[in-house]
Amino acid sequence: MANLREVAQYGLDALLRAGADKAQCVATFTEKHEMNVELGEFSLLRTTFDTNIGLTAIKDSRRGSTAINKSDNESMDKAAAEVLAIAAASAPDEAYDIAEAQPPAEFSSGSDAPDLDRMYSGVKELLHQVKARYPKLVLMQAIIDFTRSRSCFVNSNNVDFVTNKGVYNCMFMFTSKDQDKVSSFNYTSFSLRDLERDLLECGSLDILLKQSTEQIITRPLQGRFVGDLIITPDCMNDMLWFVSRTISDGPMISGTSIYKDKLGQQIASPLLTLHSRPVSDEICNGYFVTSDGYAAQNSTIVESGVLKTYLLSLYGSRKTGFDRAVNMGGAFVMEPGDTSLDDMIKSVEKGILLARFSGGYPSDSGDFSGVAKNSYLIEGGRIKYPISESMVSGNFAEMLKNIKAISRERIDYGFSILPWVHVSGITVSGK
Amino acid sequence: MYSLDLRDYVKLFSGYTELRVQENRVIRIVFVKGNNTANSRSATGGISARVYRNGSWGFASNPEISDQAVKGVIQAATANAIFLDSKEEKGRGPLPGVPFESQKAFSTKKQRLGQKQLVEFLRELDDHIARTYPNLASRTVALNCLDMEKTLVTSDGSYSRSVVPRTIIGITLSLIKDGEPVGFGKSYGGRGHFEDLFTSPADLYERIEEQYHHLMKKSEGVFADAGLKTCVLDASLAGILAHEAIGHTTEADMVLSGSVAAGKIGQQVASPLVTLIDFAHSYNGQTCPVPVYIDDEGTMARDAVLIENGILKGYMHNKESARYFNTEPTGNARAYEFSDEPLIRMRNTAILPGTDKLQDMIASIDDGYYLIEPSNGQADSTSEFMFGITLGYEIKKGKLGRAIKDTTISGVAFDMLKTVTMVSSDMKWGPGGMCGKKQAIPVGMGGPAIKCKINIGGR
Repeated sequence: MANLREVAQYGLDALLRAGADKAQCVATFTEKHEMNVELGEFSLLRTTFDTNIGLTAIKDSRRGSTAINKSDNESMDKAAAEVLAIAAASAPDEAYDIAEAQPPAEFSSGSDAPDLDRMYSGVKELLHQVKARYPKLVLMQAIIDFTRSRSCFVNSNNVDFVTNKGVYNCMFMFTSKDQDKVSSFNYTSFSLRDLERDLLECGSLDILLKQSTEQIITRPLQGRFVGDLIITPDCMNDMLWFVSRTISDGPMISGTSIYKDKLGQQIASPLLTLHSRPVSDEICNGYFVTSDGYAAQNSTIVESGVLKTYLLSLYGSRKTGFDRAVNMGGAFVMEPGDTSLDDMIKSVEKGILLARFSGGYPSDSGDFSGVAKNSYLIEGGRIKYPISESMVSGNFAEMLKNIKAISRERIDYGFSILPWVHVSGITVSGK
Repeated sequence: MYSLDLRDYVKLFSGYTELRVQENRVIRIVFVKGNNTANSRSATGGISARVYRNGSWGFASNPEISDQAVKGVIQAATANAIFLDSKEEKGRGPLPGVPFESQKAFSTKKQRLGQKQLVEFLRELDDHIARTYPNLASRTVALNCLDMEKTLVTSDGSYSRSVVPRTIIGITLSLIKDGEPVGFGKSYGGRGHFEDLFTSPADLYERIEEQYHHLMKKSEGVFADAGLKTCVLDASLAGILAHEAIGHTTEADMVLSGSVAAGKIGQQVASPLVTLIDFAHSYNGQTCPVPVYIDDEGTMARDAVLIENGILKGYMHNKESARYFNTEPTGNARAYEFSDEPLIRMRNTAILPGTDKLQDMIASIDDGYYLIEPSNGQADSTSEFMFGITLGYEIKKGKLGRAIKDTTISGVAFDMLKTVTMVSSDMKWGPGGMCGKKQAIPVGMGGPAIKCKINIGGR
């Protein structure tokens, strides 16, 4: 394979030769080794190699970009010429720019190569454990991969970053079955730096597998009530998407973000502190360089309920007048609270333990509604039974303000670390 | 794209093998409130091989397309299959396969437009919206084009070449009402290159006007009254209903993992008014949004009749599931990228039209909802599905009332489909959706308006 840095530099030079005023090139070589399990048995061994060359040029305040997966000089020359043609077509905008010079750096995390034997034996062991502990469980799909990527980011302001990253990614999808009764499927995923621990001990896998077997027989809720939710870490992973999107370029540039005037203000309960830590040791699947070409830094997005930063790119920052974010979000780490999960459940008079939310995209104002999947009714401080055909409705912005407690316990997914969160004021409707 | 003839490499195959060259080409141009926030083209392609050995699969891919790379992926995929077979020793027999050849291209015959012309088209649309509707807080105009070009050869004698383009213009209009943002988005376009679908920005003005009027009504909208309601699902919703509610539960891999459709072939699972088919490529002599003549395992694609007059008739299959169920593969094995393996995926899933008129269906409801525009959806092994609603109206005493805010509807498909009492005579295909199941894949969804009982989220 060609030298990574030479490829990136060739792409940058090709853009400048083609007439770019400012240019950047990101060359990434990726190698993936993936083991697939279907219906509880190994089905596929997959090895893929890929190349991605991202080219961006600015000329006369017009910007264009392209991505190809060929790294030979002829392909890159052709792509560079195309980028300039694309840029010439764009509307001019003084806000287009590239990252300014920073000290060159090389970042590394994880292993250089997979331990394929350990991958195989780890999955095999998991299959045995699942069969023994949860005989009614159907492991519909498990995908365990080791992805090794090497990336070089160069631009015409002399930015020069190299990233080497190796990480194991694990995804599981499962249901449980007893004769003709079947539970709702559920899924979870996590990333690992190595395979030292049993897979069943990682992330929330064992908790969810156990719950799945309890959910073969469910009961629909009857009627409607306004009550509490205890949102599980898996569910919170999905729900944080609303917050990060709402403080990002699109809604902020368009002026439709409900948080557009809220920087430095209380947007959530003082109990909530949320970080984005892409370069933290506690996150094994983060990132080192932003898509703009800045060395990523950790940040606190919400501190004791106060919005501390938007997640704006360089362009978004120029368009809105707010500071550029020091990272691209994700890699969320939520500070734990001082309530145990047991005590949290005991404090709920009537509500739902929401383990999976299957709903429509929330509106720009934060209104949401959806089905409470793989979830339980809580009454009188006790988990009563798994439910089905029950919907929850509320507003994300209000929900963040109505946080009553955050659990001491957290789940480490490798790409995020999240607790259970107790909120109030949610409409729950059954049949 | 490349100069190799894949058929030259069949002699290197050892056992059942698929060899595929694929390139996906994407154009993306976005204007947000007049700002050109995206302006890009990309092309990702390469070669992949998948090899079957006694029930175990090996796969390998490489972005380079050269004689050496082709030999390399065949060798690596074969080695992967041998390795897994040596560990697993499943001892399963050969896959069913009937040789088939197909060459289909849906490329435009017109002169292709350059990026500048496409950007100008979008800018004109954006200018029109800004000029015509000054009370809007924002608007987003986005062009997304995807061309998928594939060549496939298999060890059992199939060969195919195909080019299937899709072009979507998405327009979202937003305003601020009482300090709260309210938005409404719609997609226009479908199968084909831009040049075959759009001639002038003005062609969309009438539909944007209609979209704007719905937004104004939605800005005065109310929360739906949560619970089980009688609703008319517009034709544009029937497709996502077909896809999410039934389609996923009848994919043979979902059936094998225990979906509720398992063991119900021949049983009444819906009202006799409901017939649901996953069309391969054509319906009523017209080409479907995502035409598949041959799938990525080299199987001739045929229509999969899932429900006929309310009775569950069959599942969607790849070669492996067809062998398990002792039936014929239906041609549903599809892969998204060159580096992806084929999975059982829907193609063009639709409920067939009935005989009722939409106006009569609305008039027949005393207290319910007319739901018009969907967003995302999700299925479940239990057949309890949901999908988001971004446009709908109350029905009071047979007449349309106030608009409702964004909501979600849900139901248990095999229960809900038994509540269907009216099906409209018109049939509408959506501009096209993307389905997620390990990989993304373009799918077609269509159907008529349906009157049924369904759970609606609200306050």
